[in-house]
Amino acid sequence: MLIEILQQTINGLAIGGVYVLIALGLTTVFGILGIAHFAHGSISMFGGYLTFFLVTSQGLPVLAAIPVALATGILLGLLVEMLAYRPVRHANHINAFIVALGLTMMVEGINLQLFGHEQVVIPTGLSRVFRFGGITVPELRLYVIIAAIVLVVAMMVFVERTKTGQAIRAVAENRDAAILMGVNVKSIPLIVFGISTALGVAAGIMVGALFAIAPGIGEGFVVKGFAVLILGGLGSFPGAILGGTVLGITESIAAGFISSAYKDVIAFVVMILVLLIRPQGLLGRTP
Amino acid sequence: MNRSLQSLAWLLVFAALAMLPQVLTVKYYLHLSILALIWVIMAQGQNLIQGYTGYVSIVGAGFMGIGAYSSTLIGMHFQWPIWATMAAAPLVTALFALATGYPSLRVKGHYFAIVTLAFNLIIVIVLVNYKELTNGETGISNIPKPWGGSRDAYFYLVLMLAAAMTALAALIARSRVGEILLAIRQNEDLVGSIGIAAWKYKLFAFVISAMYAGLAGALYAHFQSFINPEIFGVAQSLDAILAVILGGSGTIAGPVIGAFLVVFLPEMLRFADSFRLILYGLILVLATIFMPIGIVGVCKALIGRFSRKEAAS
Repeated sequence: MLIEILQQTINGLAIGGVYVLIALGLTTVFGILGIAHFAHGSISMFGGYLTFFLVTSQGLPVLAAIPVALATGILLGLLVEMLAYRPVRHANHINAFIVALGLTMMVEGINLQLFGHEQVVIPTGLSRVFRFGGITVPELRLYVIIAAIVLVVAMMVFVERTKTGQAIRAVAENRDAAILMGVNVKSIPLIVFGISTALGVAAGIMVGALFAIAPGIGEGFVVKGFAVLILGGLGSFPGAILGGTVLGITESIAAGFISSAYKDVIAFVVMILVLLIRPQGLLGRTP
Repeated sequence: MNRSLQSLAWLLVFAALAMLPQVLTVKYYLHLSILALIWVIMAQGQNLIQGYTGYVSIVGAGFMGIGAYSSTLIGMHFQWPIWATMAAAPLVTALFALATGYPSLRVKGHYFAIVTLAFNLIIVIVLVNYKELTNGETGISNIPKPWGGSRDAYFYLVLMLAAAMTALAALIARSRVGEILLAIRQNEDLVGSIGIAAWKYKLFAFVISAMYAGLAGALYAHFQSFINPEIFGVAQSLDAILAVILGGSGTIAGPVIGAFLVVFLPEMLRFADSFRLILYGLILVLATIFMPIGIVGVCKALIGRFSRKEAAS
């Protein structure tokens, strides 16, 4: 029983890492620009698809394909910001959300058009399995967990320690004051979208390597990402990290012990319970 | 436009639609018209919560599914006549909407949209996995049709209901409730500050819009005679949002125009599914950026400009 729980926890950590990366991307965009970037999931999966395509059709090694996918993804993120979100920046927030829905449909359509209906798995060739006591950890899963931790730490260091990171936080805190302090607020949205899309594409590649990418998967992940934000508290970085990990582990244990068909329902039920009992989230400030 | 002119326009539209079964020689277009009228009901409901109240709900198709499945299943298991099951469907949907609306309306804006979307996903997951009841992804076929499947008769039924639901939406919009809903869209805090319990009105709009969707779902089930979970996925909820935006949110004519557009447009364009998605998405983005007031809004602005010129001369 204990072994089983530990095993599912390890499994949950890998998927939790994916949730954390997606949620961090969403929370930066939301915290700084006030946009619920719904197309994030589909763009992330675009990155996963692209990696698959580069590896299988172009014969690139995985480690070479990842940077190309990241760069393309970032470019796509910048285009989305400039062409779609910027024109509705000053309109009602609901308009930006509807634009995001439209973008989701477009990116999903582009994914279908370019990569087809079949589900794809990025071949990594990492098939070793480590054993610790009674727990088995596939090599790939371990690397995914490590990569997620590295990316999260890098993101935290960037936001907390660098000048640009400080500027981003300043804009999130008080836009007008940031302008007065000489922060170039024009470039901030681009930087934010670049970072968030890079994290998303990384998550998409992880999903493609660990599980499979198929049409519609991106929407599922973006909803989970928002569930994580609600769980952890809106706009809170530690909240996103805690929320993602908790959601991943809960889901994994629920899938192992209750029902794998209903594991997504369990995730959403947790989100709705949090909304009812603690609307500000686990780590959110009391309003 | 003044009130009597407006009523005349509505009467003309109704008369023109009523003649469709005689005019349309290609039966397929009649089929599409029935679907479009069902979507009018759907879009009118969506407009109440999205257009008037300003809360973008993405669970429309899910509620449509609840209506479709409850009408079908009640008929199958309790041998109720079609009329009774169709009347029961919106009530069942309303119960679900009460249960889901209460928690989701605690959050605003985007988060409301996301939570409702999660509900749509849950509904589809349950429809797919609760096989004993819903027959899973295979769906349910041979759902009874009224009047031995007469398409013309069904057309008039749907037309009457679409007209009645449009009139009801207009009544709600013009009532005090409708005014409060509009006020919530413009400034919810202000509504609260003058002592109006905004959440009651939001819940009302949410539940009514769900009942519209439930009715649309029941009509769909007994028209197509086949339902499966895929029909009631998030993509269809997005279609409902598109219908409202394209037609003109917060207007009564908007959803009517929008519903016909979302049903007929893909048929006219006959693209592959992926192109349809790209094109719909592009239309949604462009319409929101350049024409957020929708077709009706643009027409109103044009008429306004025209009549002002006339008054000046």
